[in-house]
Amino acid sequence: MPVRVVDTATPSSQPSPGQETNTGHPSPPSCSLLSAGRSFAGTQNVSSLQKDEAWKVNVRIHGCDLEQGYLCGTMEALNVPLADTPVVTFWEGEIVDAKNYTFFTGKWEASPEDDIRHWSKFPSFTPLLSQIETDGGKSLDFSNYPYIFMRWKEQYFVNVGADCGLTIAGFYYVCFSCSDGSISGFYYDPNSSPFQKLELKCTNEKNSGFTFSSYELQ
Amino acid sequence: MPATASVGGARPEPEEASPAPAPASTSASSCMGTRPEELTARLAAAGPGPAEGCGGAGAGGEEVEHERVRALREIKNQIIGNRTKKLLYLRLGAVPSVVAALAEPGASPAALVQAAAAAGSFACGVEDGARAVLAAGAVEHLTRLLAHPDEKVVDASARALRMIYQSRLAPKFDVNSGENMDFVLSLLDSENENVTELAAAIISHSCESSAEQLSLCSAGVPQKLVSLFGGSMNLRDACLGSVTAVIRNNRDVASRFASTDHGKGFRSVVGLIHDRSPHTRLLACLCLIALGHASPCHFQDKQIKTKLIMVLLELIEEPGHVGDEAPLALTTLIKDSFELQKQALTTNAVEKLSNHLLANPLETRRAVTIMLALSELCSKLEESRSQLMSVEVSALLLEALKHDWADIRIAACSCLKNISRSPKVLSGGRLSCDTVIGPLVQLLNDSSTSVQVAALGAICNIAVNLTPRKSVLLHSGVVSQLVHLSKSMDPMLRLKSVWALRNIMFLLSPKDKDFIVKELTLSTLSSLICDSEHFVQEQTLALVHNLVDGYVDSANYVIGEDGMVMDAIARQLINASAPGVCIQGMYVLANIAAGNELNKEAVMNVLLPHRADRIKPLFVVNFLQSKDKQLRVATLWCLLNLIYPKCEASSGRVVRLQNAGVIQQVKSMINDPCLDCKLRVRMVLEHCVDNADDCFM
Repeated sequence: MPVRVVDTATPSSQPSPGQETNTGHPSPPSCSLLSAGRSFAGTQNVSSLQKDEAWKVNVRIHGCDLEQGYLCGTMEALNVPLADTPVVTFWEGEIVDAKNYTFFTGKWEASPEDDIRHWSKFPSFTPLLSQIETDGGKSLDFSNYPYIFMRWKEQYFVNVGADCGLTIAGFYYVCFSCSDGSISGFYYDPNSSPFQKLELKCTNEKNSGFTFSSYELQ
Repeated sequence: MPATASVGGARPEPEEASPAPAPASTSASSCMGTRPEELTARLAAAGPGPAEGCGGAGAGGEEVEHERVRALREIKNQIIGNRTKKLLYLRLGAVPSVVAALAEPGASPAALVQAAAAAGSFACGVEDGARAVLAAGAVEHLTRLLAHPDEKVVDASARALRMIYQSRLAPKFDVNSGENMDFVLSLLDSENENVTELAAAIISHSCESSAEQLSLCSAGVPQKLVSLFGGSMNLRDACLGSVTAVIRNNRDVASRFASTDHGKGFRSVVGLIHDRSPHTRLLACLCLIALGHASPCHFQDKQIKTKLIMVLLELIEEPGHVGDEAPLALTTLIKDSFELQKQALTTNAVEKLSNHLLANPLETRRAVTIMLALSELCSKLEESRSQLMSVEVSALLLEALKHDWADIRIAACSCLKNISRSPKVLSGGRLSCDTVIGPLVQLLNDSSTSVQVAALGAICNIAVNLTPRKSVLLHSGVVSQLVHLSKSMDPMLRLKSVWALRNIMFLLSPKDKDFIVKELTLSTLSSLICDSEHFVQEQTLALVHNLVDGYVDSANYVIGEDGMVMDAIARQLINASAPGVCIQGMYVLANIAAGNELNKEAVMNVLLPHRADRIKPLFVVNFLQSKDKQLRVATLWCLLNLIYPKCEASSGRVVRLQNAGVIQQVKSMINDPCLDCKLRVRMVLEHCVDNADDCFM
C-alpha cells in the first residue's frame, strides 16, 4: 500500500505544471493547520549564562490572511517567574511571501545580517539562501514549499499591565511546517539573551484526530 | 438607501421662471379671474382640443387666442415651484387642455411657449404630473415643435422635454433604431444649446443596455458630447452625465472612449475635476469613477486617483446635493480597493470625514453618506479602523444606532460591521461591551428588515469574540433573538442570524455550546441544514462544525436523538450540494471522526452506507476528485481522523475504506497540485501503513 511521495525540496522560481496559481506573485500555500482557531503548545528556552530555563508556551491563531501576508494571535507564557498568572500577549505576524514581506525585516533593530543569522538556524531555509543572496529572494515562489516563514511581533499584554516587569520589545523569526503544523522560532531582542528557541506543536486536543473550528467575517 | 453614488446626468432640471409678461398681458390678466377652477374652465373653453383638429386662432379669432395665452401663462406662473398647485390643477384635469394647446396647428408661438412651459412644469418633480403629461401625448407634440420656425418655441419645447425626460416614467428612447439615432445626432448637432442639452438628457435617460451604449459609441456620440463641454455650464453638466451613462459598466465603450483621439475625451473630463462649478467637479469625478470601474486598465494613473479623492473630500464641504453625494462618489471610488483606500487614508480621509460628521447634525442625508464612506474606508485597513474608533466618533456611532431615521441606523451598523471586520479589533475586545452590543441587539427587533440585516452584519463580526470574555454577548439575549430570526421567512435574515450563531459558537465553552443548542433545538438545526437556500445550509453546517469541535459530548447532538441531525447532513452530502455546503459538512464529519469509536463508526456509516447503491459512486470518492481543493482537504482530514493510529478499530476501518475504493482514490492523489492536499494524502497513507503494522503486532 505505501507509495512513493514526491517531495518538493526547494521553492521554484516558476510555478510547477498543474500547480494552482493566482494572479500576481503567488502566495505561500494555504495550510489547514495554519488557520484561525488552531492552537499550538510547547516551550520557549529562555536560558541565560546564569541558569537554564524554559517557559511553557501556548499559541492560538486568531486570524490569517495569506493574500496580505498577515496573521495574528495570542501567546500565553505559563510559568513565568514573578508572574502570578500566565502572561498572555497579542501578536501580529508578517508572512514572508516576497510580495508583502521579504526575509529582510528592515525594522525592530534587526539588520540584514541579524536576519540571515536567525533564518539560517532553520534547516528549511538553507535551500533558499543562494537565491536570497542573488536577488534578495524577490523571485522565490513559495506556493509549493512546505514551510512558511514568518515574523511574529508581540503588540500588547492582554491580561497584565505593561509594568509587569516583562518586555515584548523583540520579535520572533518563525518557521512553520505545513506537514505536521510544528513551529520553530527564535526570539530576537538585542537586549535579551540571543537565540531563545521557541518550539511548538499543533495541539491535538483529543489525541484521536484533528478537529477544526472556523469563523467568517462579513 | 443607495450603496453607491448615482452616476446620473446633470443636476435636476430647474423649473424656470416664466419670461416677463408682455404689458398687454398684464393688463389683460388683471381683468381675468385667477382661480384654478376658473382658469381651467377658460382654457378648456378657449379652443377645440386636438381631437377636433381645427385651428385655434382661426376658429376663435385673436381674442380667443389671447385668452388662451393668458390662461396658459397664469397657470404656468402658479404651478412653477408649487407642488400643491400642480396637484390641484391635476385634479381639475387641466393637463389635457394644456397639452392640447401644443397640438393645434394654428396656435400662436406665444401660446405654444406658454403651453410647453406649463407642460414641462407639470412633469417636473411630481410623478402624477409627469404621468398626466405623458398620457396626454406631450412628448410627441413637443418633439414635433423642435422643428418650429420660431426659436422661442424650440427653446420652450426643448426645456419642457428635458423636464419630462428627468422623470423615470418618461419612455426610453430606442437609440438602436437608425431613425432615432439620426434624430439624437441631429439634436446634438443643433446650434441651439437648449436642444443639445435635451439630446444629452435623452441619452442619460435612455442609455441602459450595452448594445445601446455601443451604438452611441459607434456613432461618435461620446466625442460629440465632449465637444460640447465648452458650452454653458448646464450643457457641460448634461454632457458629462451622458458620457457617464454611455461608458458605465461597458468595458469596450469605456476603453474606446479613453483611447479615441489619443485620449482627448478622457483628458477633457480629467480637466473638469478642477472646474469652478462644484457640480461639474462632482460629475467629472463620477464620470472618471465610472470609466475606472468599466476599464481599469485605462485608469491607472495614481496621481489622478489621488486628485479624485482630494476633490471629493473638498466637495463634502459644499452645500446641498453636491455635498450630500460626494461621500457616495468616494465610496464608489474606493470600494473593494486596498490601494485606493490606502491612498484615501494618506489624504486624511478618515479624519476629514469624521470631523465633518462630528461638526454637523446627524439627521441629514450627508451624515448618512459620510458614515457609508467611513464604513468603506474601514472595510480593509486597520489604521482606518483605529482612527475611526476614536472616543468621539464611537460615541456618535452609538448615538446613531438609536436614531429615529432608519438610514442613519443602517449606516452606523455598517460602520461597526467594517470596524469589527478585523481579528485585531476583535482580539482587543473593545466592541464586546454592553454599550455596543445592547443597542445592536435592540435593532434585531427593528420594524425595518434592512435595519435588522445591517445589525446582523455587525453582530456577525462582533460575535467572533476572540477575548476570553464571551459572557457579555451571550447574556445580552442575542441568542434567543438570533434563533427567532433563523426561522424567518426572509432568507437574508435566516442567513445572517445563522451566520452570527456560527461565529458565536467559535471556540465556545461546552457549557455555552449546550446553552445555544437548547435554544436552537435539534429539529430547527436539522431544518436549517436542509434550508431551501444553500448559503443558509452552509452556515448551519459551519455552526455544527464549530459545535462539535473540541468537545466530545457535543457529537451526541449530531449522532444522538435518532440521528436526526446526522441524517440531514448525510442527505446534503449525498445530494452533492454546493461546494461550500459539502466542505462544511465534511468538517462536521471530520470533527466527529476525531472522537471515540462510536463517533468514528457513525461517520463510517455515512461515508459507506450499509445498503450502498452500487450504481452511484460514493460521495466521498467524488469529493476527493473535486476541483475544489478545500473540499478535497476537508475530506482527507475526515479520512485521517477515521484511521487515526492507536485507535481501537482503525485498522478495520482502513480495510473497509480500501474495499470501497476510497484508499485507492487517495493513492491517486499523491501528486495533488494543492500542497495541503498532498501533505494530507501522505498522512493518510502513512496511517494506513501504521494501522497495517498494528494489525501484525
